[in-house]
Amino acid sequence: MKDNLKLLILTIVTTCLAVPILALGADAGTALKTDTVRAEPFADAKTVGNINKNDSVDILNKKGAWLQIKTKKTSGWVRLLSVKRGAATASNNGKSVIDVASGRAGTGQVVSTTGIRGLSAEDLKSAKFNEEEMKKMESHTLSASDGQSFASAGGLNSVKLAYLKGAK
Amino acid sequence: MTKLLISLILASGLFVTQTMAYDFGKVLEDAAKKKIEAVKNGGETPAPATVPDKATSPAPETGASSATSSAATAAPPPAQPEFNWKNPSKEEEIALGREITGSLLGAAPLVKDEALQKYVNQVGRWVASQSERADLPWKFGVIESTDINAFAAPGGYVLITKGLYQKLHSEAQLAGVLGHEIAHVVKKHQLKVLQKQQLLGYGAGKLSGLFGKNDKLAKKALGTGAEISARSLDKDAEFEADRMGMVLATRAGYDTYGLADVLQTIGQTNKSDSSVALLFKTHPAPDERLARLGDSVGGSLDNIKAGKTLENRLYKLN
Repeated sequence: MKDNLKLLILTIVTTCLAVPILALGADAGTALKTDTVRAEPFADAKTVGNINKNDSVDILNKKGAWLQIKTKKTSGWVRLLSVKRGAATASNNGKSVIDVASGRAGTGQVVSTTGIRGLSAEDLKSAKFNEEEMKKMESHTLSASDGQSFASAGGLNSVKLAYLKGAK
Repeated sequence: MTKLLISLILASGLFVTQTMAYDFGKVLEDAAKKKIEAVKNGGETPAPATVPDKATSPAPETGASSATSSAATAAPPPAQPEFNWKNPSKEEEIALGREITGSLLGAAPLVKDEALQKYVNQVGRWVASQSERADLPWKFGVIESTDINAFAAPGGYVLITKGLYQKLHSEAQLAGVLGHEIAHVVKKHQLKVLQKQQLLGYGAGKLSGLFGKNDKLAKKALGTGAEISARSLDKDAEFEADRMGMVLATRAGYDTYGLADVLQTIGQTNKSDSSVALLFKTHPAPDERLARLGDSVGGSLDNIKAGKTLENRLYKLN
């Protein structure tokens, strides 16, 4: 009996893990707004079609600020902020291509029952100041030049860019 | 004796002023008890002449000791403790943020991983240096919580939950999340909420008037320090923090779309999952945030050189 149960659990687990991998060909996505679909991932590339808000799309690829997509009517590249990952009515049990590729799929939602610690509004309301933890946090404070060295080590260079205005 | 101690503590300046605001009765009681202990043990017994300074020492877990530094520069005369709500100084802002953050840490401590904490401070410090408040003593931390969330408090305090950290795939994504929180601090979003409460509710813009019989009122207005983090900001404040956070990360040399990636991930989390309950309660829906970001960006970033994602440098949690 116990063995049967184990087998059953194993089967369920295996099935759950297998589903997103099988569905890897394309990620489901939904258009967040009307946008132009272009032949290439450039603003001045040829227009090949349009997407409308809430259209279902398949996400095939990502390149810089662009996503390669396919809809029933057209296929090409759109600005990545015009599409959200996941189907419009997604129950969201699926993992993205990135999750699967990085080995995170299957681990993300599985948490052991020990050490679960949420942070609800109630927890925050009843929280008491913790001096010891605060001191620890303060002990990690870095200077601007520490930040600069860290950036240099990673090959990061600052770029001049103005803040964006809010859209109406 | 107790009465005397309470009045001494009341008179001791900035830090105590704030503590009062957050959890009046209890903190006061604790502080008084500690003080009595100290006096009994003869350890840190204050000499009467130096009472205002020493009075900050009795309640270690209520944030007394850091206040020593800020109190030294910002403490008002002992007889009239007040917090300048109308126009708080940088020191007051930091002391306020410390109170809120310390209280958050009381709800969820830092993850015990020194290398992780150092790493988020490195990334955060560099991103914060791209803002107009590079002069703040920015502090970052990852807290032990499976929730997906991040918090900012006045004066340069930023916390991100372990749950959110584990969703990240690159340093650019971390930079985007921290950028959003840094933007809240730069624009003083939380501070403005607190100020509004104070100025609307209590007129003169000082807390000193709240001492005494009005303690319940004060408590109702501010709750504990961390409670502010459980409240929603204006939707526009969130959209603004998204836009600014994205720009700050880009200025720091990271891929522009790290924050958007994270919003995509959050958007895919089941809405009924308790790990996102507070986040979804206090923020606009991820779809809406993405769409608004897209509207603001348009084609304006087409000529920005692609930044770095630095997947490999992202510190891996065990």
